[in-house]
Order: sequence, then C-alpha cells, then structure tokens
Amino acid sequence: MTQHLFAAALLDPNRAAPSDIRTWNGSDPVRRFAVYRNNVIASLIEALADTFPVCRQLVGDDFFRAMALEFVRASPPSSPRMSDYGEEFPSFIERFTPAASVAYLADVARLERLRVDAYHAADNEPLDVTAAADCLADTAQLPLLRARLHPSAGLLRSRFAAVSIWAAHQGRGTMKSLKIDQPQQALVIRPSLDVEVVPLDLASWTFATALNRHETLGAALESTRQTHADFDVAQSLGLLLRAGLIIALQPGMEPS
Amino acid sequence: MNKQTTAAALALALSTGLAALSAQADEMKEGMDKSDMEKCFGVAMKGKNDCKAGAGTTCAGTSTHDYQGNAWSLVPAGTCTETASPTSPTGFGQLEAFEEKQS
Repeated sequence: MTQHLFAAALLDPNRAAPSDIRTWNGSDPVRRFAVYRNNVIASLIEALADTFPVCRQLVGDDFFRAMALEFVRASPPSSPRMSDYGEEFPSFIERFTPAASVAYLADVARLERLRVDAYHAADNEPLDVTAAADCLADTAQLPLLRARLHPSAGLLRSRFAAVSIWAAHQGRGTMKSLKIDQPQQALVIRPSLDVEVVPLDLASWTFATALNRHETLGAALESTRQTHADFDVAQSLGLLLRAGLIIALQPGMEPS
Repeated sequence: MNKQTTAAALALALSTGLAALSAQADEMKEGMDKSDMEKCFGVAMKGKNDCKAGAGTTCAGTSTHDYQGNAWSLVPAGTCTETASPTSPTGFGQLEAFEEKQS
C-alpha cells in the first residue's frame, strides 16, 4: 500500500479504505479507518475554527464547518504545525461561491491569518532610538537608508471595512454602525507579547508597503507622493514608529 | 520634489517620530514603576523561586526547601510582608534575605 493511496482515501469518503490495512485486535479495518478519517477531518476543521474565529461567527458554525470541510479536502496541510494551516484559506473563501454574498469574509480571514502569523513570528528588540537618532547627523544620507521591519509585521488592504468588522467582534464598535464597503487598511504586528491591529490610512499603508519592498526611505516617500500628493510623512512615520514597525535603519545595500 | 527637500522632510519626520517614541518609552517605564512588583524573600515553595542573582544567571527554581529565606519570588508590591512565611522571624515574607529561624 502506498502512502499516497492511504492519504487520498483519508480525504475522500467516496474512496474505499485501502484494502491491505490490518488491525491488531481483529476489529473491522474498514470501520477503524472510518474513525481515523473522521478524526483527521474533524481536527483540521477545528484548527481552522481556532485560527478564524471571527469568520466563524460571521457565517455561523454550520456554514463555517461545511466551508472548512471543502477546504480540508482540497488543501490538506503540508506542514505538521497546525498554526500554519490555512494560509490559503482566505483565497479559498474568495472563490467559494456559497460565501459570495459575504464579500468581506475573505479579507476578515486575511486579517485573522496575519494575526496568527504575527503571534508565532520571531521576537525582535524594538528600534534603538539612540542609534536611529544618529542617522539624523547626516540628513543628506537619510533618503538612501532602508528600514528593517519587525518580523511579525503584516499589511492588509481591504476593499471592505474588514478591520472594523473584525474589531466589532472584539467588543470594539458594532456591526450596525459601520459602512461595510468603506475600504480599510491595517498593520498587524506583535511588538512585544500582544498582537496588535493598527488601522492605517491608505497613504500610510502605501508608504509602509514600499518600505516592506525594501525601497529606500527617499524612494518610498516619492512613490507614496505619486498617488497621495498631500502625504504627511511626519504623521505617517510617527504612526509606524509608535506601532513598532521599524526595528532598524540601515544604509544603502539591497538586503540579500 | 528635489533630493534636498526629500531629505529635509525625512529628517523632520524622523526627528519628531523618534522624540515621540522616547516620550512613549518613558511613559511606559513610569507606568511599570507604579504597578511594580517587589522581590519577596521567604515565600517561595521549594524549586519555585524566581532568582536572586542578576541578569545572565539562572538560579530560578533552585531553592531547596519551602520558604527558603534567601530565595525570592516576585509578588505584587505591598503584598510581601502580608504573605505568611513559617521560616521568617516576623512570620511573613521579607523584602531582604533573612536568616531562617530554627524550627
């Protein structure tokens, strides 16, 4: 029996149990296999329910589990770490026709995924303010510096009010008072022990995204100004620094 | 926009940003001081102490008997001397290491 057949039968209840499995105590191998199959599927659905609690609340437990079941069968885990499972769940939701009426669901899932990623990301010391202040000694070089970003940082951009929808499920604000199709952006980050969701205006998001692409400070500022002529870099950089996004400022060189 | 104004805008942004950041750090430090914990000697169970020595040493969890007088635990400030310690001459935890009374 190959592992491949065993795994395929685990995920597809229409396939017969592998014919050459044996049990140690004479019980029916087909029944034992069915129990195992059920446990595998149920625990993977449970892992998704743990990672995406707000999505589950938004569509209800039954719908969520049915949707998760489809996903589990289509995309079994490729890593033994259950906290990693469901990287592709948001894009699956986007394509999942029965959920089409809840258009913001995929973006809320993206936010929840970023939160779990941030939670498990590496720790990092915050920016050394004294060292960063030294960069001010030669302001002509400032535009050539690049920012190193916190390893836990993730950036979300949604066509919907995904951030407010998520917040409303943490007891902050209500679903009723928010405008669902108001585009929103956020930075998800874990500067020390707690994962934080920091709402960003579009210009700040554009700037942070440019820094994340390893653009120099100067290039990031220029490219943000192309789409946001009135970009207030002081306000934006202040916000990103307070959020703990930037952990170091480094000269020139593309990071390898 | 030319290079000089870019540099000037970034310099201003960075200096105000860093100033706000160190102000925030100071505030947090103050906040920590207020809701402080204190070292309390003589209240830890065997092997459950925090550490007596400084950074880089690991003596946490090394106390060899309950209520050891030279081993401490971090407790909320103000509660130490109200925590019972049968080995302590005062009957309660102390803020300094003490000689255990003979039982």
